[in-house]
Amino acid sequence: MMFLSIERITGIFKDFRPKSISVPFPSEVTPGVQEASRRNRGSLQLRHLDAGSCNGCEMEIASMTSPIYDVERFGIKLEASPRHCDGLLVTGPVTRNMSGPLLKTYEAVPQPRVVVALGDCALDCGVFKGAYGVEGTLGDILPVDLEIPGCPPEPASIITALRGLVGR
Amino acid sequence: MKINLLALTSILGMAGAIAGAITTQKLRKWLSSLFGIATCVSGLVAAIEVLHSNHPMIFQSNKILVLSGYSLQLDRFGALFVASGAVVGIASMIFRLGYSGHGLASRTASFVLPLFVMTLLLVPAATNVTTFLFLWEIMAIASLLLVLVDHRKRPEVSNAGQWYGVMTHLGAASILIGFVLLAIYAKSQSFASMEATAHHLPSWVRTSSFFLLLIGFGSKAGLVPLHVWLPKAHPEAPGPVSALMSAAMVNLGLYGVVRVGLGILGGGPTWWWLTVMALGALSAMFGSLHSATSTDLKRLLAYSTTDNIGLMFLGVGAAGLFQSTGHQSLALIALVAALLHMAFHALFKGSLFLSASSLQQATGSRDLDSLGGLLSKMPVTGTIFLIGSLSIAALPPLCGFVSEWLLLQSMLHGLPSSNPSLAIAMPVGVGVLALTGGLTALTFVKAVGIGILGQARSKPANDAHEVRPTMWVGAGLLSAMCFLFGVAPFLVIPSVINSSKELIGTNVANPLVGGWQVGLLGNQGAIEPGLLAFLIVVFVAIIGGLRKLIQAPSVRRAEAWGCGRETQTSRMEYTATSFGEPVVRVFEDVLSPSHNLDASQLSESRYYVEAAHFHTSLDDAFERRLYRQAAAGLRWWGSNARRLPNGSIHRYLMFGMVALVVVLVALG
Repeated sequence: MMFLSIERITGIFKDFRPKSISVPFPSEVTPGVQEASRRNRGSLQLRHLDAGSCNGCEMEIASMTSPIYDVERFGIKLEASPRHCDGLLVTGPVTRNMSGPLLKTYEAVPQPRVVVALGDCALDCGVFKGAYGVEGTLGDILPVDLEIPGCPPEPASIITALRGLVGR
Repeated sequence: MKINLLALTSILGMAGAIAGAITTQKLRKWLSSLFGIATCVSGLVAAIEVLHSNHPMIFQSNKILVLSGYSLQLDRFGALFVASGAVVGIASMIFRLGYSGHGLASRTASFVLPLFVMTLLLVPAATNVTTFLFLWEIMAIASLLLVLVDHRKRPEVSNAGQWYGVMTHLGAASILIGFVLLAIYAKSQSFASMEATAHHLPSWVRTSSFFLLLIGFGSKAGLVPLHVWLPKAHPEAPGPVSALMSAAMVNLGLYGVVRVGLGILGGGPTWWWLTVMALGALSAMFGSLHSATSTDLKRLLAYSTTDNIGLMFLGVGAAGLFQSTGHQSLALIALVAALLHMAFHALFKGSLFLSASSLQQATGSRDLDSLGGLLSKMPVTGTIFLIGSLSIAALPPLCGFVSEWLLLQSMLHGLPSSNPSLAIAMPVGVGVLALTGGLTALTFVKAVGIGILGQARSKPANDAHEVRPTMWVGAGLLSAMCFLFGVAPFLVIPSVINSSKELIGTNVANPLVGGWQVGLLGNQGAIEPGLLAFLIVVFVAIIGGLRKLIQAPSVRRAEAWGCGRETQTSRMEYTATSFGEPVVRVFEDVLSPSHNLDASQLSESRYYVEAAHFHTSLDDAFERRLYRQAAAGLRWWGSNARRLPNGSIHRYLMFGMVALVVVLVALG
């Protein structure tokens, strides 16, 4: 009967628990990001803005806040009002319809502020490059402080990049 | 030879009326206003003289009112009401010099306005029933005519006038019957002989005359449920008149109740005063609730008058209750608090009504939802309105704080009492004071925040200019006094104590500390408004200095955050309706608002809405459930009674015969 011990039975269920996903601190950060991390001192509030994304990146952002990744343990939080934020988290190519609201949201964030370009579309318009509704990349319109490549980037890599910004 | 100031006041008022009636259009506005100011100055001097001496001022003439004689005697209690009415009168008359309301420049208005001011000042001096009712009725009719001056332009005015006319005459009839009852037993119509016989009256006479007079004076004071005319008539009256009505005339209702209850009848059983307190508490809560949800600026102020009158009656009821249970010094404190609140309410409500009329004249609207952004366009009027609002919300260093604090203290000190009625009534009174205090703060955050801050919600509000100096001088006079008496209440409190002692008894020891402090003797809590004001100034100076010293980060101005919307208009601002909506929701059972949503569909498919209209209204629950029902009953009775006279001469002869028989049987 020794192979029916309590540990063995609970051990079966332990295996169903999700593996902890390693989210390392980024190996190298740009001087701009380092300066922002000193300013943020362990707390970063971001306003997410969809400038014309296919919603792939949004899925990854949503799972970033799930219990598995739990981005908030690093002091990173998505906020509703840009007035309360340290920066913008922008996804997608900047479409004609969204360029005005993007600028207005940017204006609404108090200075000093950071702009994070999330996903390949935000970096270089991705598959939407040259489409008639697209005005340009985020970098054409706003100064970008941090770029997170990927189509879509995995939650772990998003968090890794953001950890550089928050400094912990 | 010394001139009798009461006679002078009467003469100046009548001279003003005549001058207003017979001179040309340009001249009559100035003459009647200047005579009005002179009347008020003469009344104010008389009142101050009486308050500082121990002798009442007397004027008698048998030539004016035959049989009874025109008999005035101003004692210290009445002098307080004369003084506060005179101050409001002076401010309103100065305001009127610049006011360009068309109706108020008419011959009728110029004739009755000085009369109205004069009677406001002389009613508290009347010492017999005929003189009292003579002045009271002139006051009622004069104010009714003044409410009606704009009736050609707006149909609501005549509706308001009808309500006011009916209510004021029902009140006057009730007062007349009450006084007649007392006069029959006193075998004289002078107040002094009524007072002498009052203690020997049968209790039903005392009770019924007290309640008849309470109804009569309560209807003038705007006590719930007799208040329905007040939020209609006060807003529709032209600016200076609405200030006079709301800041001075309602006080005379309070005067009547106190004069009769504590003066002529010399106090009464506990349950009288519990009723007075209950009516006061009801008025305070109902008034503050409606003013918190009103969007019409002057209607909001009118309901706030009902609220404040309720607080004064709460104080008077507490005074009577303390007196009937033998707590003379507590009774004195409560009465002092109520009278102090009366005097201070006259100041801040006068300045609020006058500045609201200035806003109305500058923008052509008194709907808060179409005002906004006026503090920068009309800085002086806006500041006056702001000071009045801070004062009514009982914030230091303004006068409302002192009187409401004292009212609260008087009730708190009734708490450790063994008398059950005191032990129940006082905590309820404190609760009512707290609730109305909160709702008043909400009301005036709304009035100031929506009305004069923010951005203009309409084109007229955007094009508004500052009003003429005479207008803001009138209103500013009152708000300056709000500030003065808020910082240095010792300028008025001794006079108020003297005038209260006239009723409570001169041998009661003074329970209040003097000097810069306001408070109760024996370390029972005191405030020092002057010190408070000084500390506020020091604190503001320190903050301002620190901001200068420590380099504040540069301010960047950006558009208000509107979720990235392309264009934003001032119509997207918070409105008075939306600000009051949570209150409406919480008190839905009391207020019972009516909502109406009309949506028209497209002819192709009823699933597509072509246009939608949302309409919400809040009418007075007492008006709907009590007065409209009563009016419907009367109409039913009248239309049925009309069947009786059918034109047949035989039937009419029979009516005469039956009436004769009934009279003979009744008299036999």
